[in-house]
Amino acid sequence: MIDRFQYREDREAYSAARVKALEALLIKKGIITDKTVDTVLDFFETKMGPFNGAKIVARAWVDPSFKDRLVADTPAAIAELNLPEGMAGAEGEHMRAVANSPNVHNLIICTLCSCYPWPVLGLPPYWYKDPTFRSRAAREPRAVLNEFGLPVPEAIEIKVWDSSAQIRWFVVPERPVGTEGMTEAELEALVTPEAMMGVAIAKAA
Amino acid sequence: MLTQFEHFAITEMMGKTDNPPRANGSLCFGSEWERSSFGMALALAKNGFFEWDDFRDELIWTIKDWEDAHPVDRSTWNYYDQFLAALEKAVVKAGIIDLEEIRAALAA
Repeated sequence: MIDRFQYREDREAYSAARVKALEALLIKKGIITDKTVDTVLDFFETKMGPFNGAKIVARAWVDPSFKDRLVADTPAAIAELNLPEGMAGAEGEHMRAVANSPNVHNLIICTLCSCYPWPVLGLPPYWYKDPTFRSRAAREPRAVLNEFGLPVPEAIEIKVWDSSAQIRWFVVPERPVGTEGMTEAELEALVTPEAMMGVAIAKAA
Repeated sequence: MLTQFEHFAITEMMGKTDNPPRANGSLCFGSEWERSSFGMALALAKNGFFEWDDFRDELIWTIKDWEDAHPVDRSTWNYYDQFLAALEKAVVKAGIIDLEEIRAALAA
């Protein structure tokens, strides 16, 4: 009974041929052009994604006054950077940054739905939408962070920020120790979406 | 307030069994044909050839069929194989291309 679904030996080449045939037909009929796929995907690959957030955080790490402006007026500070157009549009316009400090760790959630600052964080992970995560993170953030492998010492306060249609939060994690000699580009590579959600911290390597 | 169809389409699929593979918050494609399948489906829905929700339903059913046929051995699982199968069904259903044309193009 499984035979029906057995994959061919050459399934990778076969799938590639099927896609090529389909695309050629759609182009021939004038439904799409040979540029359509690139145009649609360019959006995810180069314009909106966690690489934007990484640039913002790295700048905040090297420039403390930028960090202050970022927390005070997030859209205005982001506008200073040379990021793709649209960062401030649609979902981006309501973004607000909160910065971790030696005394405070920030965590973002969305108890209502799944509001997410996607221009800076990319696509949300599967658990972000999970009702259990949402309610438990609001109620017992310390326990939830522990389960994420991030024990936060009792002395450090945990602040939970609930994103909504009005405000989409993201976290500026602390710059890891031992990164003093690194360039801004090298620092960007250390910034993960998880760190910008507050379920992880940025690490030096 | 979703003005970007691409984002709408993706977030619609988040947290469900039919959600596309991602790495570090970015979409992740194993090869060019996976990327093209995804891009074509998005473009066709964006331009109104079919509703994204209908395409999603097609994908969900395609995945369910596959899972029913592979109750134990999931080693041959590939998300975009299912995605491509759903896309072929969707274009045929939408009347953009008929099955014969697809077969002929593939044989050529």
